[in-house]
Amino acid sequence: MAVYKRGYQRYAGDRTGYLQRLLVLPRFAWRRLLDQKLVTSLLMLSLFWPLLCILFIYLANHSELWAGFAGGFKRILSVNGKFFAVFMNVQSVFALILSAVVGPGLVAPDLANNALPLYFSRPLSLRDYIAARMLVLAGMLSLVTIIPGLLLMAIQGGMAGWGWLWDNGRLFWGVVIGFAIWIVILSLVAMTCSAYVKWRAVAGGLVLAFFFVVGGAAEMVNAVFRVDWASMFNPGFAIEAVWMEFLGVELPPEKPGAYECALSLGAMCTGLLWILTRKLRPVEVVK
Amino acid sequence: MGRPAVSTVVEIENLRVWLGRREILKGISCRLGVAGAGKAIGLLGPNGAGKSTLIQTMLGFHAPGAGRARVLGFDCHTQPREVKARIGYMPENDSFIGNMTAVAFIRLMGELSGLPKAAALEKAHEVLFHVGLGEARYREVGTYSLGMKQMAKLAQAIVHGPELVILDEPTNGLDPSARRRMLDLIKEMKSQHGMSVLLCSHLLRDVEEVCDEVLILKDGLIVHQSDLEAERKANRRFVQLEVSGDDRGLSEALRTVGAEGMREAPGQWRIVLPVEVEIGALWRIAASQGLVVRRMTHGRDTLEEIFLKAVGHLRPAPPIVPQEVPVHGRI
Repeated sequence: MAVYKRGYQRYAGDRTGYLQRLLVLPRFAWRRLLDQKLVTSLLMLSLFWPLLCILFIYLANHSELWAGFAGGFKRILSVNGKFFAVFMNVQSVFALILSAVVGPGLVAPDLANNALPLYFSRPLSLRDYIAARMLVLAGMLSLVTIIPGLLLMAIQGGMAGWGWLWDNGRLFWGVVIGFAIWIVILSLVAMTCSAYVKWRAVAGGLVLAFFFVVGGAAEMVNAVFRVDWASMFNPGFAIEAVWMEFLGVELPPEKPGAYECALSLGAMCTGLLWILTRKLRPVEVVK
Repeated sequence: MGRPAVSTVVEIENLRVWLGRREILKGISCRLGVAGAGKAIGLLGPNGAGKSTLIQTMLGFHAPGAGRARVLGFDCHTQPREVKARIGYMPENDSFIGNMTAVAFIRLMGELSGLPKAAALEKAHEVLFHVGLGEARYREVGTYSLGMKQMAKLAQAIVHGPELVILDEPTNGLDPSARRRMLDLIKEMKSQHGMSVLLCSHLLRDVEEVCDEVLILKDGLIVHQSDLEAERKANRRFVQLEVSGDDRGLSEALRTVGAEGMREAPGQWRIVLPVEVEIGALWRIAASQGLVVRRMTHGRDTLEEIFLKAVGHLRPAPPIVPQEVPVHGRI
């Protein structure tokens, strides 16, 4: 029978489980994001560097193609920690731009349209809401970070033999965990900026500005007080230091170490999460 | 989690809620509604009485400072998921998701409430036709008029077939025909679909028309709770009588015929007549007391009178002061 003839009847069937409900918000958001030309263009653009890296891996594994070149060439064309460090640095910039484009569209419209009471009057807690919104960003950013990284690993493993993967497990975990930390940071920054600024364009600018301003301030402290420790408060430097530790690449000895940087990033994430939970309330209480 | 045996829809025990340093709900206790009976409860009170805070506490938005609130047998603070899975909430203010068609919006809300994908889509169409937005269901909710947005909010509140629907000012900003449609839908929800309804409104006429029970709050306390259904069944008549003359003996004379009278001001009386007593009896009593009847109006006690009495706008009768007045003794 046609819907308009049938009339309303109360739903009496089975209900979905917690995990399925949690994935509803990301599913709806991904569909809408992938309809946006800017987002799909950025995604395409961000795959350009991994393509070059694939070419690099191909050349590195086919020495017959550059047999006539000097010996130094062989040293450059090797797939190691430094190679993945460069790959992660470039892709992290794309991830930053993508989070500035995608992030503000997640929370700001809900606040502008007063949608939070609708979410929180359903079996969805604040923690679930934040997790669901972070999943949206995690899914999008994984497309330009973890997934291309794993693809490079698989190609290198396929060309150099699977024993290479076994011998370089550290690189595997470096790419996965290193990118996962970066995704969490980007998601929290993007959501917090979006929770405070309702204009999407301004919120996007704020996400980019956050990294430049905080990074600039940290380096300014270094320059004014002639110290090096303030670098750990520069999110760009701190995440790079953590990555280098994972990938087994040496850091400049005078700069803060990976553990200090990890601690600083952890404190930053805790602070952002605290701000976010204070801002995302179903009702505003005027004290 | 197993469902506890329940009989009441809302059960509140010594509930205290603080917002910041202000105590909004000051230890209220009540039992409202009968689960599964399809009854509506009206929540009334002047601005700042604590109505919204009570609703928000039931939704788990505020933690009780003391006491507890249970909805359909589940504790609102410790079992919020169980409570929220069984209720639908229509907020007072504009609440929707921008850049989304009504179908997508209602479907999303249905899925978040636990409906499977296919069922949510089907119910979204069904409920939009039900509230009268069938032809506009592919339009973005942001482009709707105020009346349409109210209907869309009602649709999202009932898409998952909740046991209790909480409606906060559902007829706000509606024109008379849309208001009529909304009230008819609410009546249908309880009578045909067996849903319990908690209606918070400033419009006493709406509450009177739709609700079976009423709870009146003032300054964070319950000042009145009554069963409107029982009041209607009692079918008592209320008379407002204005007389001149010495009315000191009127109260006693009224009692002789089984009526009760309350002196609101000198010469002004509010009288409750039992069913078997005719209005003519009042004329005879007035004549026997030598009083001149200036004005007499009679009708059923309205919710407005109950409300005004409860919140203190109708003052209790002042004590009778003996005074020298000429007795005319004629009608």
